[in-house]
Amino acid sequence: MAGALSSLKIVEVGEMVSAPYCSKLLADMGAEVVKVERPGVGDRARTRGPFPGDVANPETSGLFLYLNTNKRGVTLDITKPEGFEILEKLVAGADILIHNVAPPEMDRVGLRYERMRRANPKLIMTSILPFGLTGPYRNYRAEDLTIWCAGGVCVLNGGGPEHPELPPLKTAGHQAGYQGGVHGATATIAAAFAQLSDGAGQHIEVSVQESIASILEMTFEYWPYMKMIATRLGQKPLQPVETMQCKDGYIYLCCIEEHQWRNFVEIMGNPEWAEMEIFKDRLVRALNWDALRPMLEEWVSQQTVLDLYRKAQAKRVPFAPVSTMGDLLNSEHLKARGFFVEIAQTVAGTHKYPGAPLKYGRTPWEIRRPAPTLGQHNAEVFGKELELSDARLEELKRKGVI
Amino acid sequence: MAKSPLSGIRVCDFTWVWAGPYCTLQLAHLGAEVIRIETKTRPCVTRMLPPWPDGVFNSLNKSGYFNQYNQGKKSLSLNFKHPEAKEAAWRLIKNSDVVINNFAAGVLERMGFGYEEVKKINPNVVMITLSGYGDTGPYSEYVAYGPAQVPLSGLSALTGYKGFPPMHAGFSYADPNAGVHGAFAIISALFHRAKTGEGQYIDMSQWECAMDLLAEGILEYTMNGREPERNGNRDPLMSPHGLFKCVDLPEKVLDVRIDQWVAIVCADDAEWARLARAIGKPELADDPRFATLAVRKENEEALEAIVSAWTATRRVAYVVDTLQAAGVAAGACADNKYLSEDPHLKEREYFVYREHPEVGKRQHCGIPWRMSGTPCEVKSAAPVLGQHTNEVMTGLLGYSAAEVEALRAKGALD
Repeated sequence: MAGALSSLKIVEVGEMVSAPYCSKLLADMGAEVVKVERPGVGDRARTRGPFPGDVANPETSGLFLYLNTNKRGVTLDITKPEGFEILEKLVAGADILIHNVAPPEMDRVGLRYERMRRANPKLIMTSILPFGLTGPYRNYRAEDLTIWCAGGVCVLNGGGPEHPELPPLKTAGHQAGYQGGVHGATATIAAAFAQLSDGAGQHIEVSVQESIASILEMTFEYWPYMKMIATRLGQKPLQPVETMQCKDGYIYLCCIEEHQWRNFVEIMGNPEWAEMEIFKDRLVRALNWDALRPMLEEWVSQQTVLDLYRKAQAKRVPFAPVSTMGDLLNSEHLKARGFFVEIAQTVAGTHKYPGAPLKYGRTPWEIRRPAPTLGQHNAEVFGKELELSDARLEELKRKGVI
Repeated sequence: MAKSPLSGIRVCDFTWVWAGPYCTLQLAHLGAEVIRIETKTRPCVTRMLPPWPDGVFNSLNKSGYFNQYNQGKKSLSLNFKHPEAKEAAWRLIKNSDVVINNFAAGVLERMGFGYEEVKKINPNVVMITLSGYGDTGPYSEYVAYGPAQVPLSGLSALTGYKGFPPMHAGFSYADPNAGVHGAFAIISALFHRAKTGEGQYIDMSQWECAMDLLAEGILEYTMNGREPERNGNRDPLMSPHGLFKCVDLPEKVLDVRIDQWVAIVCADDAEWARLARAIGKPELADDPRFATLAVRKENEEALEAIVSAWTATRRVAYVVDTLQAAGVAAGACADNKYLSEDPHLKEREYFVYREHPEVGKRQHCGIPWRMSGTPCEVKSAAPVLGQHTNEVMTGLLGYSAAEVEALRAKGALD
């Protein structure tokens, strides 16, 4: 059976994470994606790794290979007028253009919706931009870290009251990019859905900063509701919700409801100290965390992670292991669900990758092809599909356009 | 005015806490009619969590947390202890395009609303469960709470200061991540349904969805058999790449100092040279300790100390303005107050202010995208519990006013 989105044709002009993750989400459900990369160097994600055997190679970067499954790849210099013309030809035959070309660069090359619409009046164009297309920060230079901070989330994480000297701490990986990508994909597929009934194209502008500001749990509202600033240096409102060390790794203790704490106390064998007044409810336990912490640390340090995890879960206490990558790959649960997928690529070889974010009952999520090598589909896309002659292709190559 | 992209789509929303409500918030943003099924006997957890405008919990309708993630939705209050309430839910399911819940696997089935039952009366429905562990597998009935999903996913093992234990993300990141992926999946399934007439069921594991965000860590292990090292805010290919301390805010909040930080990143040698000039030390660009990425990585502590010394006596806004003018990626490490006053977000009209009967007009985060052809808007403030019970029962579900009153007297509509 074909994927749910197999009727959609997409052109991606994407670098690093946001636009590539957006179009990957669509591609893994069947959409046909042609990815446009800069001739010679390609997507910056090709430099990021990890690389098999630690040998840097633009064809074996793990981040690139993960983000670009199910796409065909062409090289095209859209900063040259001849290159831009070819982009317009590609867009003329597509339903959707997804890009994360930054606004100053959009201005320089003339990548505007009004112009692309002339090539394809029904085009849906999705621009995933650090700060959007308008406003005073429009042209700010931005990297994943600065956007993650601008969205208001980084300030929440860090050493806490015990280590106020340590800076706010970023979450590992390119999280701003992922959030821009998945929020962008949601808006994009909604536009494609609307087009089924009204037939119209449109421009979607996604702000990554705003995507992050949208996921701040309850912390943003502390200002408008209580004039309080949320900071990593504050005390947690309830306890225990904390990472602790076992004999063989780390576990995350999580007693949010009172019955969870009572069950945990039972698992610990009802120690006398647990009955003390200063630990009687979750709020008081947070206030007296200095006293509680060493008690728990001592007991937890005698346990093994999986044993305590299972004992807690058997009593409906939502503890979780602090999973290492090895734990994930070896998890009996994830194996039973078939989460990781093996992908073979000519240069990088065969490796296991993270798989489907969701399981659809009817339409498949599947890897139909690995990520493209740089310019792998130039002949197929430019020659066969756009019908550029061999002579013309040679000329464009000489000029550095492809 | 043009319609929103999902106008005409109705969502029967059994979700609670954060992941599910964040999912249906996206659908509401996109124009769907989202009807929350709620009950006073077991209200949504976030209705009872801070922040509260009076500083204390004194109403199920005043939580800033609930009110953020339930904007633009309706609330239908049903007490399932009464079979009549279940009947009303069935009528809503029959009239919905999407049915969604984020209970642990099996819970909805035990309530009688499993997919097999739902499909019998609404064969083309799109239905999704956003559970912690997914519907199948040996841990499928494990309990998952937001904060614990971050370490479970592997994100904690990768996140932390060099030489320190694993850290959290500082918020229940797996929840909204699952929510927005779920929204994408639902709309994709609606797209398929519009083309073929076929509905389907979607099984989502919040755990799996979070692992899709850490491919670099996972591939380090599958390609090289190694657990990645935690390395704070640094980056192997960019330097400097970190947070630098600026002048603190003068005020304290609850005795807690409000420190201020700025993020600064130099993606290449040219950007580093621009930074060196901007901080008044142009000679550092060619300094043999810092001239190339390789030596900057070797001397990163010394480099960070130089940048810190410059930022430490300056205010965040000054640092950001100066460095951006010089062409360096710099930005405030924004806290909620900073965000709330951010001139950029204000000019873009990102924040929304809708009248709410108990908390008045409050500043809430809005919609992170703009659509030119099918504009989106936050239609209303979050509902008070049961606000739309009469409207939905008599309008959509076909009960008479007298029937509604009788059901209310019985306690079926709480």
